[in-house]
Amino acid sequence: MSWPFQPLISPVHRWGVVLNWQRGVYDEARGTYVASWPDDLMNGSEKTELDLFTEAVQLPVESRSAFLEAACGGDAELRASVEALLKAHVESGEFLEQAPAEVKAQNAQPGEKVGERVGRYKLLQQIGEGGCGVVFMAEQEEPVRRKVAIKIVKPGMDTKTVIARFEAERQALALMDHPNIAHVLDAGATESGRPYFVMELVRGIKITDHCDQSALNTAARLEMFLDVCDAVQHAHQKGIIHRDLKPSNILVTTLPSGKPLAKVIDFGIAKATTDQRLTDKTLFTAFELLIGTPAYMSPEQAALSSVDVDTRSDIYSLGVLLYELLTGSTPFDTTELLKRGLDEVRRVVCNVEPPRPSTRLSTLMAADLTTVSRHRQVEPPRLIRDVRGDLDWIVMKALEKDRARRYPTVNGFAADIRRHLAGEAIAARPPSTLYRLKKLFTRNKLLFCSVGIIFLLLSTALIVTSRLLIQERFARRQGDLFRMEALADKLEREGRRDEALHKRIEALEVRAKLFGSEEPPPAEWLNNVMGTLVPQNQYDEAETVLNKLLPPAATRNPRFADVIVFRAHILACRGKWAEALADARLVLQYRPSEANTYHTLAPLLVVTTNLEAYRELCPKIVDRFRGVTDPSAADKMVKDCLILPDSGADLLSVAAIAETAVTAGKGMNMYRLCEFCKALAEYRQGHWSEAISLATDAAQESWPYAQGESLAVLAMSEYRLNQVADARADLARCEQVVQEQMPRFGGILGYDWRDWIIVQALLDEAHDLIKGQTAPGKSLPPRQAGQGQKDE
Amino acid sequence: MSDAESIMNAAQEVSPKAADQLVQAVYQELRRLAASKLAKEAPGQTLQATALVHEAWLRLVGDEKRRFEDRTHFFAAAAEAMRRILIERARRRRAVRHGGEYERVYLEEDMLAGPADDEQLLALNDALQKLELKHPIQAQVVKFRYFAGMSNAEIAELIGVSLSTVKNYWVFSKAWLFREIKRG
Repeated sequence: MSWPFQPLISPVHRWGVVLNWQRGVYDEARGTYVASWPDDLMNGSEKTELDLFTEAVQLPVESRSAFLEAACGGDAELRASVEALLKAHVESGEFLEQAPAEVKAQNAQPGEKVGERVGRYKLLQQIGEGGCGVVFMAEQEEPVRRKVAIKIVKPGMDTKTVIARFEAERQALALMDHPNIAHVLDAGATESGRPYFVMELVRGIKITDHCDQSALNTAARLEMFLDVCDAVQHAHQKGIIHRDLKPSNILVTTLPSGKPLAKVIDFGIAKATTDQRLTDKTLFTAFELLIGTPAYMSPEQAALSSVDVDTRSDIYSLGVLLYELLTGSTPFDTTELLKRGLDEVRRVVCNVEPPRPSTRLSTLMAADLTTVSRHRQVEPPRLIRDVRGDLDWIVMKALEKDRARRYPTVNGFAADIRRHLAGEAIAARPPSTLYRLKKLFTRNKLLFCSVGIIFLLLSTALIVTSRLLIQERFARRQGDLFRMEALADKLEREGRRDEALHKRIEALEVRAKLFGSEEPPPAEWLNNVMGTLVPQNQYDEAETVLNKLLPPAATRNPRFADVIVFRAHILACRGKWAEALADARLVLQYRPSEANTYHTLAPLLVVTTNLEAYRELCPKIVDRFRGVTDPSAADKMVKDCLILPDSGADLLSVAAIAETAVTAGKGMNMYRLCEFCKALAEYRQGHWSEAISLATDAAQESWPYAQGESLAVLAMSEYRLNQVADARADLARCEQVVQEQMPRFGGILGYDWRDWIIVQALLDEAHDLIKGQTAPGKSLPPRQAGQGQKDE
Repeated sequence: MSDAESIMNAAQEVSPKAADQLVQAVYQELRRLAASKLAKEAPGQTLQATALVHEAWLRLVGDEKRRFEDRTHFFAAAAEAMRRILIERARRRRAVRHGGEYERVYLEEDMLAGPADDEQLLALNDALQKLELKHPIQAQVVKFRYFAGMSNAEIAELIGVSLSTVKNYWVFSKAWLFREIKRG
């Protein structure tokens, strides 16, 4: 006989005698106790089931099937049985691993019974029972005969502490006097040592049940809720916090008039029965014993971290109640959560934002929504619309996790509901976008960070590529520009000047676009263009180009001296004296040694009657060009220094320069021009006869301006020698030349603009001298030549 | 020498009658102990069946260093006593709950885990009786562990098998009972 449990019947283990006391037999022969085995144990199949299971369960899950296949052979029934056991093994989890349930409830029954007396109260009828305790209707006989409710707290509490806590608050409780509050009258301990509370007897039903049974619409529910708020506010004013507001503590009773009346019960009891030093270990028990459901518990109560529960915890609980009145369910299904453990409840209550009431309604199953709607006598869409907006915000404000963000008082909460009912703007504004973003961020840090990094990478890449693109485009345009400029050069070399010019202007415009208006084109390019346009007398076009391509700042750059020279010329040619003068002064800075610089500046100073400046300039000209050898330069400098009779220049020095001009210019084309300059020098020195001789010769020059200049000097010299008739005749000839040959001032004077200024100046001087008046047709501004003479 | 000790000494004489007497004695003691504790204990105190059994051992025998055989013997009896107590309570509560002798007006959500626990316990008891018919030793292991809170080592010593065998029996019994309850 192969006993699988041989040791059991070994005499050594005689204590085994009690094991199977139910069905064991005492084996007299062996002097020991033998279990009576069921018959089918012997047929082997059961043994196989145990063995197979034990072997299979130690194998890896994936190999079990193959093992059973081999071990069971054809016995399908056996195999199914073992497989069912294996499945049960996997599913069993914590089954039987915890010790059996507490035996706590067993004393509830042998406790107080109907008919017994508790203190001075006679128990009449049990009207409620739950985790918290048993509630009896009782009769008080002294000092008044009345019916009361007695709540006898379940065992498991330190009675003395409970009573002491209640006594501490008793005076405050007595101060409460409000139609919506059921008074707690008394407290004490039963003979078996359990605490009990005596309350005003309220025959009513839970507020949520009442609202559903009476099918109250949303507005009526809000009105009823406002009564509850009044009651809680009253208690808060008396310094009482309820701590355990929930539908089962808010009963609706019907007055004799038929009017429903909400009554808040159990004030002061939660505080007395809740151990303030709740620990995790005892909290589970606390939930069962006292609270029943954590659905209405505020985050700070659930967290246990802060024991300073204050009135705002009640506001949270009221928020949950309102949520339930509106939607038919609490924000969180805590009963379900509790099954997953305390930490899960705590996590959800403290961290998870509940769906808004309207969202909750919208997400209800159709059937549930219909039920909820019927309880409120409205169509489902209307119900959702009623709740959306104001009521959403009001409820969510009361349900804020951070109590500082909730309504500070119940009154504030109630006032907002009244405002909503009156159609006014509510105080519970939607949280600011920033606040919500912040919330969103803290909840999705990882997501935000990764999105941020991706965004950063993308924008960096975008910047880099667009910069590269810009650079690439710039390079391409630059290439275009260089090709255009090269083409212009090529055209120029081939003698196609007009085409070259246009290409060049085009290139300059491209350049301006490419480098911006602040970056001037190379000076030589502008010079090139000017050098083409100016000789062709295309002054307008030249000016346009300069206006467009020469930034104002560029004129301060010496590299553009030549361009400025051009511009002064272009402006002067057309009588724009003031602007031309400004450029001429610039040129003086850049080119102080060139004769042309002075040949531009001096006439312009005269024509603009800047006589002080002119007189300062002339001695400098003389100093600089004292030893000049070029007849052309000498000629120009002499003329420039002697335009006016009182130029401030040393006449002898000027005469020496004039002598150089005549000597060096002998035999050259320009000799007659040189003769004129000497004639002028002689005249200014008072050598009238020499002046007449030289001027007569010079007047034969073919250039009209040269004739004009010479005739003016000739006429004045003759007049000085009292040859008045000759003088008048030559003056007339001079005027004729001016009238017929000189372009009008303001028009285009052309390349000879300087000499025309000199002609006009000398003619005016001659007129004053000979006729005592200004010449007819004079277009120079009135000059103060007379002053100069007076000064002499 | 206390009553329990004299009974245990008698039980050493290996008499079924004495064994049953022991269970009865422990049973009475456990009931009395539970009732008195529940009336007086500090708030939040949870009385667990196994803890009660251990306390009963101390009260009845009063000596931690008692012989191992005495101790295991006692716990074996206590397991059975505890099982009886729990089942009786569960049955009675169920009868009250279903009888509807009171008009329940409120506090209904306060009715928490109790009913479910009771049903589970009764179902377990039924299944355990079936297991006992087929696998008495394995059923005994469950009683020791679940109702008396004995350790595997204590059980192994008591029924004279290896520790690993006790573990195997326990795993098997758990699966078997679970399957049975699910099926039932």
